[in-house]
Amino acid sequence: MSKYYLTLLTFLFALLLSCGNDDNYIPVNETDDDPIMTDDQGTVDDMNVTVDLTAVPFTSLSEYGFFDGNLADLIPNQGVLEYSLINKLFSDYSIKKRFIWMPEGVTSTYDSDNKLLIFPIGTIIVKNFFYDNVLPANSRRILETRMLIRTADGWEFANYVWNEAQTEATLDLDGSNVDIMWELNGETRSVNYRIPNIAECQTCHKTGDTSIPIGPKPQNLNKSFTYSDGTTENQLQKWLDAGYLQSFPNSINTLVDWEDTSAPIKDRVRSYAEVNCAHCHIDEGHCSYRPIRLDYASSILDENIGICVEPDEDLGGGLSHIIKPGNIGRSTLFFRLNTTAEEVRMPLLGRTLIHDEAITLIEEFINQLETECE
Amino acid sequence: MKKLLYTLLLCMPFALLAQQDCANAISVSAGTYTVDTIDGEAPTPVCTTSTTNPANNGEWYLYTAADDVFVTVTSDLQVNSGGDTRLQIYSGDCGNLNCVIGDDDGGNIGNGYLSVASFQATAGTSYYIAWDNNWSSNGFDFEISEADAPPPGQLTFTAQGVTTNGSRLAMVDMNGDFLDDLVSVSNTNVNINYQLEGGGFNTVDITTTPANYTPSWSLAAGDIDGNGYNDLLYGGGSGVTFMYANDDGTGFTEVSGPEYVFSQRSNFVDLNNDGNLDAFVCHDVQPNVYYINDGDGNLTFYQGADPDGIPSGLGLVSNGGNYGTVWIDFDNDHDMDLFIAKCRGGQTEAKINQLHRNNGDNTYTNIAGDTGVNLADAVQTWSSAWGDYDNDGDMDGYIGASSTSDGPTKYMRNNGDGTFTDISGSVDLSGTPLGIENAPGDFNNDGHLDIFSNGRILLNGGDGLSFTVLSQTVPQSGAIGDANDDGFLDIFSNGLFLNNANDNNWIKIVTIGDQSNRNGIGARVEITSSGLGTQIRDVRSGEGFRYMSSLNTHFGLGQDDAIEVVTVYWPSGIITTIDNPDINETLVIHENEALGIDDITANDLKLFPNPAEDFINLETSFQLNNAIYTVFTIDGKRVLNGKLDTNAVDVSNLATGNYFMRIYQENKSYVQQFLKK
Repeated sequence: MSKYYLTLLTFLFALLLSCGNDDNYIPVNETDDDPIMTDDQGTVDDMNVTVDLTAVPFTSLSEYGFFDGNLADLIPNQGVLEYSLINKLFSDYSIKKRFIWMPEGVTSTYDSDNKLLIFPIGTIIVKNFFYDNVLPANSRRILETRMLIRTADGWEFANYVWNEAQTEATLDLDGSNVDIMWELNGETRSVNYRIPNIAECQTCHKTGDTSIPIGPKPQNLNKSFTYSDGTTENQLQKWLDAGYLQSFPNSINTLVDWEDTSAPIKDRVRSYAEVNCAHCHIDEGHCSYRPIRLDYASSILDENIGICVEPDEDLGGGLSHIIKPGNIGRSTLFFRLNTTAEEVRMPLLGRTLIHDEAITLIEEFINQLETECE
Repeated sequence: MKKLLYTLLLCMPFALLAQQDCANAISVSAGTYTVDTIDGEAPTPVCTTSTTNPANNGEWYLYTAADDVFVTVTSDLQVNSGGDTRLQIYSGDCGNLNCVIGDDDGGNIGNGYLSVASFQATAGTSYYIAWDNNWSSNGFDFEISEADAPPPGQLTFTAQGVTTNGSRLAMVDMNGDFLDDLVSVSNTNVNINYQLEGGGFNTVDITTTPANYTPSWSLAAGDIDGNGYNDLLYGGGSGVTFMYANDDGTGFTEVSGPEYVFSQRSNFVDLNNDGNLDAFVCHDVQPNVYYINDGDGNLTFYQGADPDGIPSGLGLVSNGGNYGTVWIDFDNDHDMDLFIAKCRGGQTEAKINQLHRNNGDNTYTNIAGDTGVNLADAVQTWSSAWGDYDNDGDMDGYIGASSTSDGPTKYMRNNGDGTFTDISGSVDLSGTPLGIENAPGDFNNDGHLDIFSNGRILLNGGDGLSFTVLSQTVPQSGAIGDANDDGFLDIFSNGLFLNNANDNNWIKIVTIGDQSNRNGIGARVEITSSGLGTQIRDVRSGEGFRYMSSLNTHFGLGQDDAIEVVTVYWPSGIITTIDNPDINETLVIHENEALGIDDITANDLKLFPNPAEDFINLETSFQLNNAIYTVFTIDGKRVLNGKLDTNAVDVSNLATGNYFMRIYQENKSYVQQFLKK
């Protein structure tokens, strides 16, 4: 009986996975030869992931058992929930698939719309980075799978670098670079993609000296998502249903999608900054000694987003303010986002290319500001 | 066709308007003038200290000096409040314009976007004054005024056109002629403007293999392999690349380590005092890293405390926060100590500054938080400027704040006994800028060290207790050196800016090591002159945050016209003195040739027990106040060094063998042999 159930489930997975991805990922999973699926002794429990927290990080990605079938298809096993964020960190146009897993019997709790969910020990957050249409074969290339593991000692980092055959990813916290050429919107692009060293993970993922996740805050999770079984549901509701979240309130102050041109432009900028800048420009962040505060709650104030604020560091070039209303040429924030020079670009890590679409937004925002600086 | 003709007719009269281009510049003299819409020929090159991008249009004026006068051109007038101007001033002719100076935002009125620039004009010489529309094409008024001389204490710089390629990062000798050259770097190229004897440059591009890491965070120079040509260290965001100069300095061999390093300030210094130049790199987010030289120029990477490297490490905070290191001898025991300017948001140890005392035995101890030292400060700083600002014989620290979130800039006076007093409150620092670049230099050669801080010069009032903040014509942050061998410190930043000399005297000293590293990095250099007394410098590679400044040691002499004695305390322990050197020129001192202080084998310096085991005791008839002890092997290698606190020296870590103990005090050295069991 259980075997039949499994087969059915596998079929459903294969059939419906295509709907479950926010990054337009259409998986190909026609030849599922996972031994678990055909194991006569198999039970539903076989699909449940168990992780020995005293043994992490494992040396390979497959050891976790998060994914079913061909590893590169990133098909989540039971209990592994895919999720997405309303706004995502720009990482040189790489595409990401995120998953979360918690052990049996534990759940996260809601703190505040702008604060991370309080995750139980054993929680593992998984983020896969890849490019589609990678040349010469116009194929997908997964580069790395980053993990945040909540152990009894706090959050631990792990990173798994994928082999070229795309059959396995191996623990590597040393950092490396990969040259990638790919096609994006009909244009050939190239990047010297950076896979981070563990210290680079910590640089962004921290408050004070304590390691933390960045993305999974209610304000950035509160959206509907189409799951691999074809159902579409609000993510917080889904997490609640799955036992991953204890409760959440009716009203949540939620980010706007920064690409949503119908939203007020300042909200779009603030929402973009929350995810791309606020991990450092926040109280207790890496750069909290600088005057701006770019977390969504703080950036509602003009001075926190740098409007008419003089920068501490004079970069020359006539850059007189962090944001000089109506004048991108004198706005440090625009300059730092619109350059690839390592010593001045922002964000400090994770970007080597210019995020053209965001630059358009920031330019439009600064140009429509009319505040007179004193 | 009709329309085109009409357009042509409409445009023709404008083309004839006088100030539309260089050739038709309007003649002007002292007075006030009105610029209409800026729509004429754009001026190039750009001569301003802060901006380099050319504009689309300009308006031209021609000023001819009747006498030798100090000219100020300004749009910083109340009538222009709210305006935004940019100014270029040239000598030469329209076919060959040479920058004199320019300005973008030197004004104070309105939003501060108005311009003001001054220059020394020569009688009978014509200067082109061109306003451009980099920011605005709107008209405004400007004023030309003349004065007999610059205001007292005013320094001015003149822009000097140079052709560069890549990031302009260093002013340091690259071909062994002791003249500072200009170095600009890109991924596959080292662009060098070799300074020519008699002035000018020979521009050479040296192609390199692609550097794994480019010097986006810092550049340091030093002669790792002792072949007479400086090598380069590129401090990149995820690693470090070394560029070894070949045996005639015409090419580089790239060596890039595989190790992850988020580089900040980098330095060359002999960390373990074995005579070979080592490299040090601040790590932004991890413990600091260093590279030990095996004597053949091969560097081995170490991070943190390592028994094979530096057993104590050199800054071990796990999350880093290391931004600006400078190697100084703060305790005058003639070995190099390390100050680390630190920065980090939030409540974390990573932001607390450190001072690592060299224990003289390859170990270092962070004493910033010790009683009286007062340097374990949370001030958010990326660099500090260390020098003897009060000329009392020890190094004081200007710990420049990059942000005031954890307190303002700290000015720390060395008490002479290894402790510091915070005199920030009693010295007016109100006009000093925030920022990441702070480095010392005597810019007016008055014998009192100034501070180049973020596009300002803090001109020392003479007692080290007052500074005048100069901004007009002062370049943006850059490398400091002497690009025209006139003995006055110039700055290489957005371009080359030459410091206009005054009548003060000077000397430059080049230290060529033999037993010590080739550059003499780590040497203490002292000069004594009648009016100014004793001035001191450390030979340092890597000051400020990003740039590499000259390795030549520069002193201003004010009106003193002679130097009684120059003393060099080499890292090897050798001491060299030179009496009455010529001034207003470069003095090259070779460690292996120069006259040294004679060692006195003192009959009344008794060492006991001899043979010694853990401690050796000293007994003498002379005073040992502030004496420096140095233990040498019989081959002359320095193995222990420090100030004598007591009459006993810990020799427990020495290998069995024969040693010399030297006691140095007040220009005398006493030597005695001993045996270590």
